Amino acid sequence: MSRLLEVLGMSAGYGLAPVLHDIGLYVDSGEVVAVIGANGVGKTTLLRTIAGIIQPSAGRIAFDGRPIGSTPAHDIVGQGLALVPEGGRLFPFMTVLENLELGAFNPSSREKTRTTLDEVMMLFPILAERKTQLAGSLSGGERQMCAIARALMSRPRLLMLDEPSAGLSPVMVERVFDMLRSVVASRNVTVLLVEQHVEDAPEIAQRAYVIERGRIVKTGSGAELMNDPDVQRAYMGL
Amino acid sequence: MSAIPSTTRTWCLYAGGLLVTLLPLAVLSGDLFWVNILIYTYLFAGLAVAWNIIGGFGGQFSLGHGVFFAVGAYMTARLYLGWEISPWLGMIPGALLCATIGPLVFWPTFRLKGSFFAIATLAFNEVGLVMANYLHTVTGGPRGLQIPFKAGLGNMIFADQCIWALIMFGFMALCVAITIVLMRSRLGYYLLAVREDEEAAHAAGIDVTRVKLRDTALSAALASIGGSLFAMYIRTIDPPTLFSLADIGVKFALIALIGGIGTIIGPVLGAFLIIPAESYLRAVMGGGLPGLHLVVMGGVMLLAALFMRRGVAGALDALWRRRSRSAS
Repeated sequence: MSRLLEVLGMSAGYGLAPVLHDIGLYVDSGEVVAVIGANGVGKTTLLRTIAGIIQPSAGRIAFDGRPIGSTPAHDIVGQGLALVPEGGRLFPFMTVLENLELGAFNPSSREKTRTTLDEVMMLFPILAERKTQLAGSLSGGERQMCAIARALMSRPRLLMLDEPSAGLSPVMVERVFDMLRSVVASRNVTVLLVEQHVEDAPEIAQRAYVIERGRIVKTGSGAELMNDPDVQRAYMGL
Repeated sequence: MSAIPSTTRTWCLYAGGLLVTLLPLAVLSGDLFWVNILIYTYLFAGLAVAWNIIGGFGGQFSLGHGVFFAVGAYMTARLYLGWEISPWLGMIPGALLCATIGPLVFWPTFRLKGSFFAIATLAFNEVGLVMANYLHTVTGGPRGLQIPFKAGLGNMIFADQCIWALIMFGFMALCVAITIVLMRSRLGYYLLAVREDEEAAHAAGIDVTRVKLRDTALSAALASIGGSLFAMYIRTIDPPTLFSLADIGVKFALIALIGGIGTIIGPVLGAFLIIPAESYLRAVMGGGLPGLHLVVMGGVMLLAALFMRRGVAGALDALWRRRSRSAS
């Protein structure tokens, strides 16, 4: 297994407000890794920093061995790292198809738009059915799938998801995770996701990090963390 | 990818719509007062459409487009006066210059959002005014530039006002056509995505800054061509005219706003409502109570802002939907 993403001693924040301190984590290719933390501990900031939307104030981020700490967001997508923002953030007044096509902006994926589109539609048959519908009219679960599909349009090697289960019913969460599993299997992508619901994440993730007040405080396999008394107390209300 | 089906039928619809705007010219071609008003209507319709590319579709509410207009006007007039370069060619360097300086001055400003962006771009206009007064070797300073009347196609000077009306109509049609082509292309969708949700556009891998800069360049170049035409039409340009906020800089945005921002026909509708009404009121009321027409226009715009949030085009659209719903 090769190291696809490596974050070392990274700090980041907004202006004078630091959010993340000395973050270290890695994701090997083929893995599904979760970052678990409560509201407001910096999970979203972590993904936004890796995606290049905000710049880290210290430390190093390497994707496939290459440093990307100061690379602009669209170039990072071009290198094969895609982010599914929280809530999907689709363009509601555009159709499902148009939303998907927007995901293939960078030159290398643009050439393959048609093939990727066919492949993605195979994975998400529901989107094929709704392709001419406005994205704003989709249900929450469909919206999340459309957002994942849009990210896949850039043909990423690493897919980052910001709380894919947020706002979904437990049944829908199950379905989105099933979808994610088949995406991982069939498209050979690696996944880094952040979640608030500690009980959901280990189900899909092989490894997980626990983040508290901007620092990584624990790491281990999904099952280990599930059984950790601290984690249970803090996140599962046991 | 298109929300509107890409067929010749819709193209015919747009072309037909534009041709309808020629009707008043056909009816009023003998009346110089109205022909003059029509000339301004076509010109400002084109300018509002050009502004709308970045101001409406791009969501960057610029109040600095008067600068591009002025650059086009000065460049064309100066090249013609100094080196007798035909204004038809003289429009091009002005447009290219604006396509360069537009992105350069907007680049740092794109960090600001909403009204802060508008205020910052408003400042460009004031800086432009000061510079135009100062750089008198180019602009003629406060005295401005006067272009002598030497009629001829190559000089872009015509005794027949109707020719001017047709030229301005052509400018409007060009701006509309460019907007249609842009908004039906992939590039137009990137622009909309950036306007709707910059963060999501980032996440989708769109180079947000490049998209904004490219469309600023296009919008600025078209505004510059409008300025060139304006200069050759009135043949006397000076800083207070070109950098007037009420008559130039803010007007592009205002017309688009009243007509329907971020739509293709909105700015054209807006120009056909505002320019004739304003000119007519000025002529009728100007003699008795100078300035009263501004009060009336201000009142109308206030009402439009209160009751037609999406402009005339938006109001018509809503009406159309309601009727087709009750019909079905």
